[in-house]
Amino acid sequence: MKNKYLTVEALTKYLKFKFDSDVNLKTVYLKGEISNFKAHTTGHFYFSLKDEYSKINAIMFSSNNKKLLFTPTEGMKVLVRGRISIYEATGNYQIYIDEMLEDGLGNLHIAFEQLKEKLSKEGLFEQVHKKPIPKIPNRVGVVTAATGAAVKDIISTIKRRFPICEILLFPSLVQGDNAAPDIVKKIEQANDHDLDVLIVGRGGGSIEDLWPFNEEIVARAIFNSRIPIISAVGHEIDYTISDFVSDLRAPTPTAAAELAVPNIVDLTHNLNQIAIRLNESIYNQINFKKLYLDSVKNSFVIKNPMIMYENKQQKLDNIIEKINQLLSYKIERKKVLLNNLKSNNILLNPINLYKPQKLELTNIISKLELLNPLSILKRGYTLTYIDNKIVKSVDDINIDTKLKIKFYDGIITTKVEGKEVSNGN
Amino acid sequence: MATKEMKFEEKIKELEKIINELESGNADLEDSIEKYTKAMKLVKECDEQLKNVEDAIAKIVLENGETENLEVEK
Repeated sequence: MKNKYLTVEALTKYLKFKFDSDVNLKTVYLKGEISNFKAHTTGHFYFSLKDEYSKINAIMFSSNNKKLLFTPTEGMKVLVRGRISIYEATGNYQIYIDEMLEDGLGNLHIAFEQLKEKLSKEGLFEQVHKKPIPKIPNRVGVVTAATGAAVKDIISTIKRRFPICEILLFPSLVQGDNAAPDIVKKIEQANDHDLDVLIVGRGGGSIEDLWPFNEEIVARAIFNSRIPIISAVGHEIDYTISDFVSDLRAPTPTAAAELAVPNIVDLTHNLNQIAIRLNESIYNQINFKKLYLDSVKNSFVIKNPMIMYENKQQKLDNIIEKINQLLSYKIERKKVLLNNLKSNNILLNPINLYKPQKLELTNIISKLELLNPLSILKRGYTLTYIDNKIVKSVDDINIDTKLKIKFYDGIITTKVEGKEVSNGN
Repeated sequence: MATKEMKFEEKIKELEKIINELESGNADLEDSIEKYTKAMKLVKECDEQLKNVEDAIAKIVLENGETENLEVEK
């Protein structure tokens, strides 16, 4: 019986297939210490992960290691996620790393992500809360350590770019357990001053060094600041919670100073431009008015003023003529009316107006005369009065009653001597 | 307007406003000349402020709220 011999390649391919099809090896979480670290010129990282008893080769391609927030060094303890496979050329199995964290900092990363999510949900990072940074500040505040590169960079940059600006430094602890409350205190203290902008930050350091700027109280102090805040924590690659909540993030302290103040050279240039534009605009305007004045001076009307007057004169004449026409027409009409009135019958014989009334009046007067009781007296009747009241019946009269008897031509007074009542008529 | 009390940035904003008004050409001449005079005064004030370079001040605010001049070695 003949044995079947495999090629090395065939065996390796078979083993590689076994590794690659194993679910457990597709995603492996591994912790260990970096050794034999080598960053290749292609950008890929080659190293081993080991502990006291074992060792595994590791590779992290540049596409993945670009995202690292730290630089791996020899002996560093790390947490990695990756897959296990075989490199066929050497027959070595190795871990292909997708993600790597510094071991021991895992808790900090979790805390960072949790706080970031919490404050983000509260809306603290939203653009609407970002206060505008004034372009030309009079006074700049700085909250950072009193010594060190950061404060030097900030002050020298401001003095170089915009020396007329006043700087107020609020020296603060920037690392360690007491740093966060101190930073909060200094931000609050700065808010008691009349500042246009406040730079809060520190120079580069490890994630633990920068940690105070990831504390919730610092984030809230930055959010509550009345003065707009530029954050400047560590280097370009360092992102802290303070950076998310501040009104503007600067990659470095020097950059923060550059964002806080303008360059005096640019300002002077702008000011000169403004002066030039002012002069040009006023010159243009005066020139334009001059041209306009010239055009008016040369206009036909100004040169021939009679034209204006002639037109008006003609118009006036027209109006006068019209008025005259209207007036004479009206007078004529009144004349006709008057003549009509003059020929009116009643006006000519006004007596006709009251002739019938006069006739009627004469009738009424003769009727009234007939009715006058006094005229009856003329015919021999008398009127008898007792105490000025007319007596109508003998019942009202007693013997010896005094009577007044009225005749048509006078009155007599008499006394009653007898009385006789007649029945019927 | 008391231009001495205006901040530098406010002055620049005022200047830009005046320039826009003048360049629009809507104002009458007397008004324009008045604005121009005011603007040139502002330009002069700003210019003087920019030239006043030696007065750069850095102060340190102490715990008790008092301030001291701050010397930073270059």
